[in-house]
Amino acid sequence: MSDAHEPKTETGPAPLHGILAEYATPGEILAASRKIRDAGFSRWDTYTPFPVHGIDKAMGIRMTVLPWIVLGAGLTGLATAILLQWWTNAWDYPWLISGKPFWSIPANVPIMFELTVLFAGITTLVAMLVLNNLPFPSHPLDHVRRFARSTDDRFFLFVEAADPKFDEDDTKTLLEGTHPHAIENVLEDRKTPDALPVGIIYGLVIMTVASAVPFALAAKARFTTSRSPRIHIIQDMDSQPKYKAQRENPVFPDGRATRVPDPETVAVGELHEDDHFYRGKDNGAWARTFPPGFRADELTMERGQQRFGIYCTPCHGFGGEGNGMVSKRAEELAQGTWTPPTNLTEARIRNMPVGELFNTISNGIRNMPAYGAQIPTSDRWAIILYLRALERGRAATLADLEPAERTGL
Amino acid sequence: MATAKKGPTKKTGSAKKGGSEATPDSQPKQSASVPDDAAAKVEIAGFSDKIRLGNEGGALFAKAAGLAVIALGASAALGATQGDGFRRWSHGYLVGYAVALAITAGSLFWVILQNLVNARWSVAVRRMGELFAANMPLLGVLSLPLVLPVMMGSPLIYEWADKAKVASDHLLHHKSGYLNANFFLIRMLFYFGFWTVLARFYLGSSRRQDETGGPEIVPSMNRISGPAMIVFALTLTFCAVDLIMSVDARWFSTMFGVYFFASCVLCVHATLILALMWVQKKGRLAKSITAEHYHDLGKMMFAFVIFWAYVGFSQFMLIWYANIPEETAWFKLRFAGGWGNVAWTLVFGHFVIPFFGLLSRHIKRSRTALAFWCFYILAMVYIDMYWLVLPSIDADAPNVQAMDILAALGLLSALVAGAAREAGKKNLIPTKDPRLSQSLAFENI
Amino acid sequence: MAAATDLNPFVPAPAGDNAFARITDNVSRIAEAERPPRAWYIAFAVALTMLTCFLGAIGWLVWTGIGVWGNQIPVAWAFDIVNFVFWIGIGHAGTLISAILFLLRQSWRTAINRFAEAMTIFAVICAGIFPGIHIGRPWLPYYMMPIPNQMDMWPQFRSPLEWDIFAVSTYATISIVFWYMGMIPDFATFRDRATTFWRRLSYGIVAMGWRGSSRQWHRYERAYLLLAALATPLVLSVHSVVSFDFATAQLPGWHTTIFPPYFVAGAIFGGFAMVVLLAVPARQFFGLKRIIQIKHLELMNKVLIATGLLVGYAYGMEFFVAWYSGNSYEGFTFINRAFGQYYWAYWTMITCNVLAPQLHWFKKIRTSPLATLLIGMVINVGMWFERFVIIATSLARDFLPSSWNYYIPTTIDYLTLGGSFGLFFTLFLLFCRYLPMVAMAEVKSIHPSAHAHAEHH
Repeated sequence: MSDAHEPKTETGPAPLHGILAEYATPGEILAASRKIRDAGFSRWDTYTPFPVHGIDKAMGIRMTVLPWIVLGAGLTGLATAILLQWWTNAWDYPWLISGKPFWSIPANVPIMFELTVLFAGITTLVAMLVLNNLPFPSHPLDHVRRFARSTDDRFFLFVEAADPKFDEDDTKTLLEGTHPHAIENVLEDRKTPDALPVGIIYGLVIMTVASAVPFALAAKARFTTSRSPRIHIIQDMDSQPKYKAQRENPVFPDGRATRVPDPETVAVGELHEDDHFYRGKDNGAWARTFPPGFRADELTMERGQQRFGIYCTPCHGFGGEGNGMVSKRAEELAQGTWTPPTNLTEARIRNMPVGELFNTISNGIRNMPAYGAQIPTSDRWAIILYLRALERGRAATLADLEPAERTGL
Repeated sequence: MATAKKGPTKKTGSAKKGGSEATPDSQPKQSASVPDDAAAKVEIAGFSDKIRLGNEGGALFAKAAGLAVIALGASAALGATQGDGFRRWSHGYLVGYAVALAITAGSLFWVILQNLVNARWSVAVRRMGELFAANMPLLGVLSLPLVLPVMMGSPLIYEWADKAKVASDHLLHHKSGYLNANFFLIRMLFYFGFWTVLARFYLGSSRRQDETGGPEIVPSMNRISGPAMIVFALTLTFCAVDLIMSVDARWFSTMFGVYFFASCVLCVHATLILALMWVQKKGRLAKSITAEHYHDLGKMMFAFVIFWAYVGFSQFMLIWYANIPEETAWFKLRFAGGWGNVAWTLVFGHFVIPFFGLLSRHIKRSRTALAFWCFYILAMVYIDMYWLVLPSIDADAPNVQAMDILAALGLLSALVAGAAREAGKKNLIPTKDPRLSQSLAFENI
Repeated sequence: MAAATDLNPFVPAPAGDNAFARITDNVSRIAEAERPPRAWYIAFAVALTMLTCFLGAIGWLVWTGIGVWGNQIPVAWAFDIVNFVFWIGIGHAGTLISAILFLLRQSWRTAINRFAEAMTIFAVICAGIFPGIHIGRPWLPYYMMPIPNQMDMWPQFRSPLEWDIFAVSTYATISIVFWYMGMIPDFATFRDRATTFWRRLSYGIVAMGWRGSSRQWHRYERAYLLLAALATPLVLSVHSVVSFDFATAQLPGWHTTIFPPYFVAGAIFGGFAMVVLLAVPARQFFGLKRIIQIKHLELMNKVLIATGLLVGYAYGMEFFVAWYSGNSYEGFTFINRAFGQYYWAYWTMITCNVLAPQLHWFKKIRTSPLATLLIGMVINVGMWFERFVIIATSLARDFLPSSWNYYIPTTIDYLTLGGSFGLFFTLFLLFCRYLPMVAMAEVKSIHPSAHAHAEHH
């Protein structure tokens, strides 16, 4: 009945590890399991090629704690995702993207979900392996030939000798009562060493050390400086053989690649000789007339009105009184730092020379920025033309109207 | 909202005598003769069970129908006192109606689905689904307070019903090819017509099977399920669009049909569980419906809590993200003022809390706990529908009125009354379905 | 090794003659055969050639730059993203078969779940390559990870592209975990049948010492259920996140709220078509006809009808709302799809996705392996075109008419697309050769002999 060979060791025959019974159908092993369970054994197990339905109950296996571990892992993943996204995008380096809040909860939900599942899933596998004591490289049952069918088509029941209720003869009789296909004694495994083979230990140590190398390199790169350029394999057009500004060029005595233009050099179109037109100055004083060549016609007036509307009304308002939207908003905020825009229709401005007005538009004054870069010179004069018309309109009296128009009021 | 499950006895006409004699092994046997008012007993797979409501059904019908009439009447009376021509009332009514529609359409969907996949586990439960699906004609009638104003051209709920408004508004005019009174009526008739025919077919075939046990019945129910499901999907989508989405005729979402569908599935599972529990409390189907069935129904409910959240979140997040004003306006209204609190209530109450509540297998197998969650889910669906509809009229904050609650109560009682009436005289379980024994014996994972 | 002489592991125990042994034998002999069937060699040669083209095309791309593709403003995303979405979609069927059908207690899934899961892994590998190579500097992908870098910058978590990274990598990880865990018992079977030292060692290592202990099976079953329950929402979320890449934009034709479930349904649809496409030759050439039966093919074809109709529903809803919304840009987009410059792609898509699967209403067609194979191919083509229609046509006609253009793919584009199939099939054929192609333990557990006729416990 027993076909286990006795290993020849110095210490004599190996002690009994347990008794193995083999069955051919799930029904048989269920019945046998119930019997062993009811007999009060605790150190025993069944081995089947697939999970037999009902064997948990037949063996008295309690529900595993695994689902709770997985739940905990999932919640950890969730917390990690929330913390990660909040900390990186809202705390450490907050930056606006398409107007979304720094901590955009709707946008964070997908990753919250993914990390929950990731942590839970990996934990499921790892916890299952740990709880199952896997990997389990060697077991005395491996030396039993027939046991190889436990992963094929046979069902085995094994009672360990270490069980307090174990008795070599009684237990065997009990098992025989379940009508197994075969019964055999299984001896302890004396041959297979307990410790891991030295080669594997070396291998694991080397792998662990080797896997730390990339991190060490990264740390070195992070905390040291280097004069050599970074490794750059795909060159594309990154390094071009030309001189860029701020670089050295040994050809020139001053060593600079940037050349300074000769004095008196003027770019094409940049020779703004006409003081009157370009600077609003007439013989050193503010010009009181529009520049020669300036046509004060309807077209220019319309242009001026349009440009006034674009550039001036946000602060000065459509009526030029200084009540534009920007000003209203600033007053609403009431932060105490706002100087209201000038009322362009007041006497002081009406009496100001056009050249001085031109200068204000071009170069700014107090809180008003310089508009010279945005508004071409001729447009600035057009704006001033319109402004004069606006002022005249605001300062109009009844006397300025035609008699026919007076009655309409 | 919670539905009352109580009823005094009421005679419901001539009782049906016990049916056919002993049948082969796996088929249930009926007792030889049945006294007038008692429920029939049936021997199924080795045990006997009461499978008819009998007097209890009549009693339930009376109570539920009475409650429905009183509640709806009171609601209408309160609505009249608003003095706005029932405008505010009809919005509250629409919310209750949406929940009632979700339950009934959900039941029909569930029945079609079980037949489509030839499910075995649900056979014991299926008749209950068929009974609730049979409320379709009733639901069609109950839609009158919503349909009549449209036919009369009154913008009580739907601004597109007002022809003058449509003529003057460019966007409404564009949609008027679809959103007009006549087409709306035709569609509603089609929806309820189709649904009624389908519900009658399933209940009828199933009942015929009780009598004849013919082998051609199950295949015929299976075969029609494919095409039926296709048309059902379209009719449900457009019904949701017509009744609920078009309350704000300027807004649109391709996901809306799916969103309403998620609520339908939640409602049907909650309703089935509660209905079966009530029936078992009255001593019927005591052994036929087991913890396994409740577990499975609970699992589907759990899955659809997640599905609802998924659909709702997708719809919201995509519109939030792209930030296009014509789409965000709808959500903006539903987050403004007091409505924001309702929205957050839905996030936590409709998803997070029931997710953890229904996660455990023990809860799904425990009657008390599961019943609590079913009532809870129905309440949450009501809040969801409320949040969908009411901000169009109560823009600043929710202003829940008694007439809203009464309308919902009345409508749901009407559904219970309808189902009770259908059930009263006949079997609560498809006794001759060849898959019944598997259903009675099945075990969960 | 000392233990080897005791046991003589190279002569395994004699096999039995019951259903379980037959299942074991049927599946194991595929991997244990001296040589694989001739068809395998031919297929492998073709696949390897295509893989070489793939690697060549990618190498050329990385060396020269994105300009070798046909991508150009306005069609900034073209074959690269179409292929990515296509492959990810294919992967979803495997998870559905493994996880969702498990939760729905559909035991017929055990015939196909192993190679469907393998298909998922390989499809995800193919898919993951495309985002990697389509960025201009593919040597800097670590920017997308939340790793401290020299710029002190973090990834932009509010971007759907970043969600994609997390979603796809989670999906790949969990799929591998699920696939591996499912194979542990089958690796044990291979180990116990091994006749050579190296086979025993390799399978032994990956089997982790599994011996089929019921106490271990208990935890294993729980873990399997938990993974199935996790994988189900995961698979829904992954393709939803992929759809967010498009739906969060404001582009007409992209910005529709139904995209998430629409993409998921489409993914399952395309994935099942690929499973069915692989199942037919696999059962033929590997002798698995008793395990992968006609009725399984029939069930899968029915799933194809259902998911095809879901996709059709989504097409319909998009079309309806494009009109209903009154948004002229949206309306134009859909008219343009059907009748504009890419009309041929659109009608290919409709024919392949909506019309072709309807053939499976006829029993004769859905029970024919050849028809199954052909329709499976047609659907895969259709699903590729669906992504092409969504991406290329919407971009080619965007908001600004001055930027309208017609996208023309280049040879490298075609080589990359075709070559990706080479990678997929190479990996798949290697899987067939060396790994357990069918989940033996699961098939045994649903076999009628597995159910004890014992009394109630």
